[in-house]
Amino acid sequence: MENYAKATHFWGRLTLSLGILLSFALPIYLSFVMGYHPGFALIFNAFLAYAAVIAVVWFVEPIMYYPVLGSAGTYIAFFTGNISNMCLPAVAACQEAVGVEPSSQKGEVVATLGISAASLVNKLILVPVILAGLWLLTVIPEGIQEIFPYVLPAIFGAVFVQFAGKLPWYGVLALAVGFMVNISPVPLFAKNLICILLVVSVMIYIDKRKRPAV
Amino acid sequence: MTGMELANHPVIWIFASAIIVIVVFQAFKFLSMSKKRAKEIGLTDEDIKRSIKTGAITAIGPSVGIIIVAVSLISLIGNPLTLMRIGVIGSAPIESMGAQLSAEAAGAQLGSASFTPEVFSLIVWVLCIGGAGWMIFTVFATPSLDKIQDKLSAKPNGKHILGLVASGAMIAIFGSLLSNEFLNGFPYIFTGLVAMIVSFTINYISNKKGIAWLKEWSLGFSILISLIAVYFVV
Repeated sequence: MENYAKATHFWGRLTLSLGILLSFALPIYLSFVMGYHPGFALIFNAFLAYAAVIAVVWFVEPIMYYPVLGSAGTYIAFFTGNISNMCLPAVAACQEAVGVEPSSQKGEVVATLGISAASLVNKLILVPVILAGLWLLTVIPEGIQEIFPYVLPAIFGAVFVQFAGKLPWYGVLALAVGFMVNISPVPLFAKNLICILLVVSVMIYIDKRKRPAV
Repeated sequence: MTGMELANHPVIWIFASAIIVIVVFQAFKFLSMSKKRAKEIGLTDEDIKRSIKTGAITAIGPSVGIIIVAVSLISLIGNPLTLMRIGVIGSAPIESMGAQLSAEAAGAQLGSASFTPEVFSLIVWVLCIGGAGWMIFTVFATPSLDKIQDKLSAKPNGKHILGLVASGAMIAIFGSLLSNEFLNGFPYIFTGLVAMIVSFTINYISNKKGIAWLKEWSLGFSILISLIAVYFVV
Protein backbone atom coordinates (compact mmCIF):
# COMPACT_ATOMS: atom_id res chain seq x y z
CA MET A 1 0.00 0.00 0.00
CA GLU A 2 2.69 2.43 1.11
CA ASN A 3 4.75 1.83 -2.03
CA TYR A 4 1.88 2.20 -4.43
CA ALA A 5 0.72 5.44 -2.79
CA LYS A 6 4.25 6.81 -2.81
CA ALA A 7 4.84 5.88 -6.43
CA THR A 8 1.49 7.42 -7.38
CA HIS A 9 2.39 10.77 -5.87
CA PHE A 10 5.93 10.64 -7.25
CA TRP A 11 4.98 9.93 -10.87
CA GLY A 12 1.87 12.09 -10.72
CA ARG A 13 3.74 15.12 -9.46
CA LEU A 14 6.72 14.53 -11.74
CA THR A 15 4.65 14.33 -14.94
CA LEU A 16 2.51 17.32 -13.95
CA SER A 17 5.59 19.35 -13.06
CA LEU A 18 7.04 18.65 -16.51
CA GLY A 19 3.73 19.80 -17.99
CA ILE A 20 3.87 23.00 -15.94
CA LEU A 21 7.47 23.59 -16.97
CA LEU A 22 6.60 23.30 -20.66
CA SER A 23 3.58 25.56 -20.17
CA PHE A 24 5.85 28.30 -18.88
CA ALA A 25 8.73 27.57 -21.25
CA LEU A 26 6.77 28.16 -24.47
CA PRO A 27 5.66 31.75 -23.79
CA ILE A 28 9.09 32.60 -22.34
CA TYR A 29 10.73 31.21 -25.47
CA LEU A 30 8.42 33.18 -27.77
CA SER A 31 9.04 36.39 -25.83
CA PHE A 32 12.74 36.28 -25.11
CA VAL A 33 14.32 33.92 -27.61
CA MET A 34 12.23 34.69 -30.68
CA GLY A 35 11.68 38.28 -29.60
CA TYR A 36 7.88 38.47 -29.83
CA HIS A 37 7.30 39.96 -26.42
CA PRO A 38 3.90 41.60 -25.90
CA GLY A 39 5.08 43.37 -22.72
CA PHE A 40 4.38 42.39 -19.14
CA ALA A 41 1.75 45.08 -18.62
CA LEU A 42 -0.36 43.58 -21.39
CA ILE A 43 0.26 40.01 -20.21
CA PHE A 44 -0.79 41.01 -16.72
CA ASN A 45 -3.97 42.73 -17.91
CA ALA A 46 -5.05 39.90 -20.20
CA PHE A 47 -4.24 37.25 -17.63
CA LEU A 48 -6.20 39.09 -14.97
CA ALA A 49 -9.27 39.26 -17.22
CA TYR A 50 -8.95 35.52 -17.84
CA ALA A 51 -8.20 34.60 -14.24
CA ALA A 52 -11.20 36.58 -13.01
CA VAL A 53 -13.38 33.99 -14.72
CA ILE A 54 -11.30 30.84 -14.26
CA ALA A 55 -9.09 31.10 -11.17
CA VAL A 56 -11.58 29.78 -8.61
CA VAL A 57 -12.04 26.65 -10.69
CA TRP A 58 -8.31 25.79 -10.34
CA PHE A 59 -8.90 25.22 -6.62
CA VAL A 60 -12.48 24.04 -6.50
CA GLU A 61 -12.36 21.28 -9.12
CA PRO A 62 -9.46 19.16 -7.85
CA ILE A 63 -10.97 19.14 -4.35
CA MET A 64 -14.53 18.58 -5.48
CA TYR A 65 -13.69 15.60 -7.74
CA TYR A 66 -11.14 13.98 -5.44
CA PRO A 67 -13.54 11.60 -3.66
CA VAL A 68 -14.54 10.18 -7.06
CA LEU A 69 -11.15 10.19 -8.83
CA GLY A 70 -8.73 9.28 -6.02
CA SER A 71 -5.06 10.32 -6.09
CA ALA A 72 -3.91 8.64 -9.30
CA GLY A 73 -7.16 9.56 -11.03
CA THR A 74 -6.70 13.20 -10.03
CA TYR A 75 -3.18 13.35 -11.45
CA ILE A 76 -4.33 11.86 -14.75
CA ALA A 77 -7.59 13.81 -15.05
CA PHE A 78 -6.05 17.21 -14.29
CA PHE A 79 -3.38 16.63 -16.90
CA THR A 80 -5.32 15.01 -19.73
CA GLY A 81 -8.40 17.22 -19.28
CA ASN A 82 -12.02 16.46 -20.29
CA ILE A 83 -12.89 15.76 -16.69
CA SER A 84 -16.67 15.94 -16.52
CA ASN A 85 -17.33 14.69 -20.04
CA MET A 86 -14.78 11.85 -20.14
CA CYS A 87 -12.85 11.05 -16.95
CA LEU A 88 -15.77 10.94 -14.52
CA PRO A 89 -17.95 8.91 -16.93
CA ALA A 90 -15.03 6.49 -17.43
CA VAL A 91 -14.72 6.01 -13.66
CA ALA A 92 -18.44 5.40 -13.34
CA ALA A 93 -18.57 2.95 -16.26
CA CYS A 94 -15.55 0.91 -15.09
CA GLN A 95 -16.70 0.61 -11.51
CA GLU A 96 -20.11 -0.49 -12.72
CA ALA A 97 -18.68 -2.98 -15.25
CA VAL A 98 -16.36 -4.62 -12.71
CA GLY A 99 -18.85 -4.29 -9.86
CA VAL A 100 -16.76 -2.47 -7.24
CA GLU A 101 -17.75 0.24 -4.78
CA PRO A 102 -16.63 3.79 -5.51
CA SER A 103 -13.98 5.12 -3.09
CA SER A 104 -13.06 1.57 -1.96
CA GLN A 105 -9.50 0.35 -2.54
CA LYS A 106 -10.55 -1.78 -5.49
CA GLY A 107 -12.78 0.99 -6.79
CA GLU A 108 -9.87 3.40 -6.86
CA VAL A 109 -7.57 1.04 -8.77
CA VAL A 110 -10.31 0.18 -11.27
CA ALA A 111 -10.89 3.92 -11.75
CA THR A 112 -7.18 4.47 -12.42
CA LEU A 113 -7.10 1.70 -15.03
CA GLY A 114 -10.15 3.16 -16.74
CA ILE A 115 -8.99 6.78 -16.77
CA SER A 116 -5.52 5.84 -18.08
CA ALA A 117 -7.08 3.91 -20.94
CA ALA A 118 -9.52 6.76 -21.60
CA SER A 119 -6.69 9.30 -21.68
CA LEU A 120 -4.80 7.22 -24.26
CA VAL A 121 -7.82 6.72 -26.51
CA ASN A 122 -8.56 10.44 -26.27
CA LYS A 123 -5.10 11.36 -27.57
CA LEU A 124 -5.29 8.64 -30.21
CA ILE A 125 -8.42 10.31 -31.63
CA LEU A 126 -7.48 13.93 -31.00
CA VAL A 127 -3.95 14.05 -32.44
CA PRO A 128 -4.89 12.95 -35.98
CA VAL A 129 -7.98 15.18 -35.84
CA ILE A 130 -5.94 18.27 -35.08
CA LEU A 131 -3.31 17.31 -37.66
CA ALA A 132 -6.08 16.99 -40.25
CA GLY A 133 -7.45 20.27 -38.92
CA LEU A 134 -9.75 22.46 -40.92
CA TRP A 135 -9.81 19.98 -43.81
CA LEU A 136 -11.91 17.71 -41.60
CA LEU A 137 -14.80 20.17 -41.47
CA THR A 138 -15.09 19.99 -45.24
CA VAL A 139 -15.36 16.19 -45.12
CA ILE A 140 -17.84 15.63 -42.31
CA PRO A 141 -21.37 16.20 -43.70
CA GLU A 142 -23.13 19.20 -42.22
CA GLY A 143 -26.06 17.15 -40.94
CA ILE A 144 -23.64 15.10 -38.83
CA GLN A 145 -21.82 18.20 -37.61
CA GLU A 146 -25.12 19.60 -36.40
CA ILE A 147 -25.68 16.78 -33.91
CA PHE A 148 -22.25 17.12 -32.28
CA PRO A 149 -23.46 19.58 -29.62
CA TYR A 150 -25.90 16.92 -28.41
CA VAL A 151 -23.08 14.61 -27.34
CA LEU A 152 -22.98 16.35 -23.96
CA PRO A 153 -26.59 15.78 -22.85
CA ALA A 154 -26.22 12.19 -24.08
CA ILE A 155 -23.13 11.55 -21.92
CA PHE A 156 -24.54 13.34 -18.90
CA GLY A 157 -27.92 11.59 -19.15
CA ALA A 158 -26.40 8.12 -19.47
CA VAL A 159 -24.02 8.56 -16.53
CA PHE A 160 -26.67 10.23 -14.39
CA VAL A 161 -29.07 7.33 -14.77
CA GLN A 162 -26.41 4.82 -13.81
CA PHE A 163 -26.23 6.35 -10.33
CA ALA A 164 -29.73 7.71 -10.02
CA GLY A 165 -31.10 4.31 -11.07
CA LYS A 166 -29.86 2.89 -7.77
CA LEU A 167 -30.91 5.85 -5.64
CA PRO A 168 -33.87 7.32 -7.56
CA TRP A 169 -34.96 9.80 -4.89
CA TYR A 170 -31.53 11.34 -4.71
CA GLY A 171 -31.56 11.49 -8.49
CA VAL A 172 -34.78 13.50 -8.41
CA LEU A 173 -33.29 15.72 -5.70
CA ALA A 174 -30.09 16.29 -7.71
CA LEU A 175 -32.04 17.23 -10.84
CA ALA A 176 -34.31 19.58 -8.89
CA VAL A 177 -31.37 21.27 -7.18
CA GLY A 178 -29.52 21.33 -10.52
CA PHE A 179 -32.38 23.16 -12.23
CA MET A 180 -32.66 25.70 -9.45
CA VAL A 181 -28.94 26.34 -9.35
CA ASN A 182 -28.67 26.62 -13.12
CA ILE A 183 -31.48 29.15 -13.51
CA SER A 184 -30.23 31.31 -10.64
CA PRO A 185 -27.44 33.83 -11.21
CA VAL A 186 -24.76 31.73 -9.51
CA PRO A 187 -21.20 31.88 -10.88
CA LEU A 188 -20.35 28.88 -13.04
CA PHE A 189 -17.84 27.22 -10.72
CA ALA A 190 -20.28 27.35 -7.80
CA LYS A 191 -23.10 25.53 -9.60
CA ASN A 192 -21.84 21.96 -9.36
CA LEU A 193 -20.33 22.66 -5.96
CA ILE A 194 -23.62 23.86 -4.43
CA CYS A 195 -25.35 20.84 -5.91
CA ILE A 196 -22.75 18.46 -4.44
CA LEU A 197 -22.86 20.05 -0.99
CA LEU A 198 -26.66 19.95 -0.83
CA VAL A 199 -27.18 16.41 -2.14
CA VAL A 200 -24.34 14.88 -0.12
CA SER A 201 -25.43 16.54 3.13
CA VAL A 202 -28.99 15.33 2.66
CA MET A 203 -27.67 11.81 1.97
CA ILE A 204 -25.48 11.80 5.08
CA TYR A 205 -28.25 13.25 7.23
CA ILE A 206 -30.77 10.61 6.15
CA ASP A 207 -28.16 7.88 6.48
CA LYS A 208 -27.44 8.95 10.07
CA ARG A 209 -31.11 8.90 10.99
CA LYS A 210 -31.55 5.45 9.50
CA ARG A 211 -28.71 3.85 11.42
CA PRO A 212 -27.76 4.76 14.97
CA ALA A 213 -24.17 5.99 15.38
CA VAL A 214 -21.64 3.20 15.88
CA MET B 1 5.86 37.33 -39.91
CA THR B 2 2.10 37.41 -39.26
CA GLY B 3 0.50 36.10 -36.09
CA MET B 4 -0.86 33.06 -37.92
CA GLU B 5 2.56 32.24 -39.37
CA LEU B 6 4.04 32.25 -35.89
CA ALA B 7 1.10 30.13 -34.74
CA ASN B 8 2.15 27.38 -37.14
CA HIS B 9 5.89 27.76 -36.53
CA PRO B 10 7.88 24.52 -35.92
CA VAL B 11 8.81 25.74 -32.42
CA ILE B 12 5.18 25.61 -31.33
CA TRP B 13 4.86 22.13 -32.83
CA ILE B 14 7.88 20.97 -30.81
CA PHE B 15 6.45 22.23 -27.51
CA ALA B 16 3.01 20.83 -28.31
CA SER B 17 4.42 17.40 -29.20
CA ALA B 18 6.54 17.35 -26.05
CA ILE B 19 3.56 17.94 -23.78
CA ILE B 20 1.49 15.29 -25.59
CA VAL B 21 4.36 12.82 -25.18
CA ILE B 22 4.35 13.46 -21.41
CA VAL B 23 0.56 13.01 -21.18
CA VAL B 24 0.82 9.70 -23.04
CA PHE B 25 3.79 8.58 -20.95
CA GLN B 26 1.83 9.38 -17.77
CA ALA B 27 -1.14 7.28 -18.90
CA PHE B 28 1.12 4.30 -19.70
CA LYS B 29 2.96 4.67 -16.40
CA PHE B 30 -0.25 4.70 -14.35
CA LEU B 31 -1.66 1.87 -16.43
CA SER B 32 1.26 -0.42 -15.58
CA MET B 33 1.41 0.70 -11.93
CA SER B 34 -2.28 0.15 -11.33
CA LYS B 35 -2.21 -3.19 -13.14
CA LYS B 36 0.36 -4.44 -10.65
CA ARG B 37 -1.55 -2.92 -7.75
CA ALA B 38 -4.79 -4.51 -8.95
CA LYS B 39 -3.29 -7.99 -8.66
CA GLU B 40 -1.97 -7.27 -5.16
CA ILE B 41 -5.41 -6.33 -3.86
CA GLY B 42 -7.15 -9.31 -5.42
CA LEU B 43 -8.61 -8.11 -8.69
CA THR B 44 -8.57 -10.78 -11.39
CA ASP B 45 -7.01 -10.48 -14.85
CA GLU B 46 -10.57 -10.46 -16.13
CA ASP B 47 -11.38 -7.40 -13.96
CA ILE B 48 -8.27 -5.58 -15.18
CA LYS B 49 -9.04 -6.27 -18.81
CA ARG B 50 -12.63 -5.21 -18.31
CA SER B 51 -11.64 -1.90 -16.65
CA ILE B 52 -9.22 -0.97 -19.42
CA LYS B 53 -11.66 -1.95 -22.14
CA THR B 54 -14.51 -0.02 -20.55
CA GLY B 55 -12.37 3.08 -20.07
CA ALA B 56 -11.24 2.91 -23.69
CA ILE B 57 -14.77 2.47 -25.07
CA THR B 58 -16.15 5.21 -22.85
CA ALA B 59 -13.55 7.69 -24.15
CA ILE B 60 -14.65 7.36 -27.79
CA GLY B 61 -17.91 9.31 -27.55
CA PRO B 62 -16.55 12.30 -25.60
CA SER B 63 -13.40 12.46 -27.77
CA VAL B 64 -15.38 12.54 -31.00
CA GLY B 65 -17.75 15.02 -29.38
CA ILE B 66 -15.08 17.69 -28.96
CA ILE B 67 -13.83 17.46 -32.56
CA ILE B 68 -15.90 20.35 -33.89
CA VAL B 69 -14.95 22.77 -31.11
CA ALA B 70 -11.33 21.68 -31.34
CA VAL B 71 -11.24 22.25 -35.06
CA SER B 72 -12.96 25.63 -34.76
CA LEU B 73 -10.24 26.65 -32.30
CA ILE B 74 -7.64 25.89 -34.99
CA SER B 75 -8.93 28.74 -37.12
CA LEU B 76 -8.34 31.10 -34.18
CA ILE B 77 -4.99 30.01 -32.76
CA GLY B 78 -3.47 27.54 -35.26
CA ASN B 79 -2.97 23.75 -35.11
CA PRO B 80 -0.06 23.27 -32.69
CA LEU B 81 -1.34 25.56 -29.92
CA THR B 82 -4.78 23.93 -30.27
CA LEU B 83 -3.10 20.55 -29.80
CA MET B 84 -1.25 21.84 -26.76
CA ARG B 85 -4.36 23.40 -25.20
CA ILE B 86 -6.95 20.72 -26.04
CA GLY B 87 -4.52 17.84 -25.47
CA VAL B 88 -4.05 18.80 -21.82
CA ILE B 89 -6.34 20.27 -19.17
CA GLY B 90 -8.50 23.09 -20.44
CA SER B 91 -11.52 23.01 -22.66
CA ALA B 92 -12.35 24.49 -26.01
CA PRO B 93 -14.82 27.07 -24.69
CA ILE B 94 -12.39 28.26 -22.00
CA GLU B 95 -9.50 28.43 -24.47
CA SER B 96 -11.43 30.40 -27.06
CA MET B 97 -12.60 32.76 -24.33
CA GLY B 98 -8.98 33.23 -23.19
CA ALA B 99 -7.87 33.88 -26.77
CA GLN B 100 -10.65 36.46 -27.28
CA LEU B 101 -9.90 38.21 -23.98
CA SER B 102 -6.18 38.41 -24.80
CA ALA B 103 -6.80 39.78 -28.28
CA GLU B 104 -9.20 42.34 -26.84
CA ALA B 105 -6.68 43.42 -24.22
CA ALA B 106 -4.20 44.04 -27.05
CA GLY B 107 -6.82 45.87 -29.07
CA ALA B 108 -6.52 43.30 -31.83
CA GLN B 109 -8.88 40.93 -33.56
CA LEU B 110 -8.24 37.22 -34.07
CA GLY B 111 -7.80 36.30 -37.71
CA SER B 112 -7.36 39.90 -38.92
CA ALA B 113 -4.30 41.94 -39.90
CA SER B 114 -4.08 43.22 -36.31
CA PHE B 115 -3.28 39.63 -35.24
CA THR B 116 0.48 40.15 -34.98
CA PRO B 117 3.07 37.68 -33.64
CA GLU B 118 3.07 39.70 -30.39
CA VAL B 119 -0.67 39.18 -30.01
CA PHE B 120 -0.21 35.46 -30.61
CA SER B 121 2.55 35.41 -28.01
CA LEU B 122 0.20 37.15 -25.57
CA ILE B 123 -2.45 34.47 -26.16
CA VAL B 124 0.17 31.79 -25.47
CA TRP B 125 1.10 33.48 -22.19
CA VAL B 126 -2.51 33.63 -21.01
CA LEU B 127 -3.65 30.19 -22.16
CA CYS B 128 -0.56 28.25 -21.09
CA ILE B 129 -0.26 29.79 -17.64
CA GLY B 130 -4.04 29.65 -17.27
CA GLY B 131 -4.03 25.90 -17.93
CA ALA B 132 -1.08 25.42 -15.59
CA GLY B 133 -3.28 26.74 -12.73
CA TRP B 134 -5.04 23.39 -12.36
CA MET B 135 -1.80 21.46 -12.60
CA ILE B 136 0.00 23.58 -10.03
CA PHE B 137 -2.81 23.22 -7.51
CA THR B 138 -3.04 19.46 -8.18
CA VAL B 139 0.70 19.01 -7.64
CA PHE B 140 0.53 20.74 -4.27
CA ALA B 141 -2.85 19.63 -2.93
CA THR B 142 -3.25 15.97 -3.93
CA PRO B 143 -0.95 14.48 -1.25
CA SER B 144 -2.88 16.41 1.42
CA LEU B 145 -6.23 15.31 0.00
CA ASP B 146 -4.95 11.74 0.14
CA LYS B 147 -4.01 12.14 3.81
CA ILE B 148 -7.39 13.65 4.67
CA GLN B 149 -9.13 10.75 2.98
CA ASP B 150 -6.97 8.21 4.84
CA LYS B 151 -7.81 9.85 8.15
CA LEU B 152 -11.52 9.92 7.42
CA SER B 153 -11.62 6.30 6.34
CA ALA B 154 -9.80 5.21 9.52
CA LYS B 155 -12.72 6.51 11.62
CA PRO B 156 -15.51 4.13 12.57
CA ASN B 157 -18.10 4.33 9.83
CA GLY B 158 -15.63 6.44 7.83
CA LYS B 159 -15.50 4.14 4.80
CA HIS B 160 -19.26 4.01 4.64
CA ILE B 161 -19.52 7.82 4.72
CA LEU B 162 -16.81 8.24 2.06
CA GLY B 163 -18.69 5.81 -0.17
CA LEU B 164 -21.81 7.93 0.29
CA VAL B 165 -19.87 11.10 -0.52
CA ALA B 166 -18.42 9.59 -3.71
CA SER B 167 -21.71 8.34 -5.11
CA GLY B 168 -23.62 11.39 -3.86
CA ALA B 169 -21.10 13.66 -5.57
CA MET B 170 -21.56 11.80 -8.85
CA ILE B 171 -25.36 12.04 -8.72
CA ALA B 172 -25.10 15.72 -7.85
CA ILE B 173 -22.51 16.62 -10.53
CA PHE B 174 -24.33 14.86 -13.30
CA GLY B 175 -27.75 16.07 -12.10
CA SER B 176 -26.44 19.61 -12.29
CA LEU B 177 -24.69 19.16 -15.66
CA LEU B 178 -27.71 17.42 -17.14
CA SER B 179 -30.22 20.03 -16.00
CA ASN B 180 -27.96 22.72 -17.44
CA GLU B 181 -28.08 20.93 -20.82
CA PHE B 182 -31.86 20.54 -20.55
CA LEU B 183 -32.19 24.31 -20.26
CA ASN B 184 -30.78 24.60 -23.81
CA GLY B 185 -34.06 23.48 -25.33
CA PHE B 186 -35.96 20.59 -26.83
CA PRO B 187 -33.30 18.66 -28.82
CA TYR B 188 -31.06 18.64 -25.75
CA ILE B 189 -33.86 17.35 -23.52
CA PHE B 190 -34.79 14.75 -26.12
CA THR B 191 -31.20 13.47 -26.51
CA GLY B 192 -30.68 13.36 -22.76
CA LEU B 193 -33.91 11.45 -22.18
CA VAL B 194 -33.17 8.89 -24.91
CA ALA B 195 -29.68 8.36 -23.48
CA MET B 196 -31.17 7.89 -20.01
CA ILE B 197 -33.66 5.29 -21.25
CA VAL B 198 -31.02 3.39 -23.26
CA SER B 199 -28.51 3.44 -20.42
CA PHE B 200 -31.13 2.28 -17.91
CA THR B 201 -32.30 -0.52 -20.22
CA ILE B 202 -28.80 -1.77 -20.95
CA ASN B 203 -27.84 -1.85 -17.28
CA TYR B 204 -31.14 -3.54 -16.40
CA ILE B 205 -30.72 -6.26 -19.03
CA SER B 206 -27.08 -6.92 -18.19
CA ASN B 207 -27.91 -7.24 -14.48
CA LYS B 208 -30.96 -9.45 -15.09
CA LYS B 209 -29.32 -11.77 -17.60
CA GLY B 210 -25.81 -11.51 -16.21
CA ILE B 211 -24.31 -10.26 -19.48
CA ALA B 212 -21.25 -8.50 -18.12
CA TRP B 213 -19.73 -7.34 -21.43
CA LEU B 214 -22.84 -5.29 -22.16
CA LYS B 215 -21.87 -2.88 -19.39
CA GLU B 216 -18.57 -2.13 -21.10
CA TRP B 217 -20.54 -0.74 -24.03
CA SER B 218 -23.31 0.87 -22.01
CA LEU B 219 -22.16 4.48 -22.32
CA GLY B 220 -20.98 4.10 -25.92
CA PHE B 221 -24.30 2.62 -27.03
CA SER B 222 -26.31 5.21 -25.09
CA ILE B 223 -24.48 8.07 -26.81
CA LEU B 224 -24.67 6.49 -30.26
CA ILE B 225 -28.37 5.57 -30.10
CA SER B 226 -29.46 8.93 -28.65
CA LEU B 227 -27.48 10.80 -31.32
CA ILE B 228 -29.02 8.72 -34.09
CA ALA B 229 -32.44 9.43 -32.60
CA VAL B 230 -31.87 13.18 -32.42
CA TYR B 231 -30.46 13.17 -35.97
CA PHE B 232 -33.81 11.95 -37.28
CA VAL B 233 -35.92 14.14 -35.02
CA VAL B 234 -34.25 17.52 -35.49
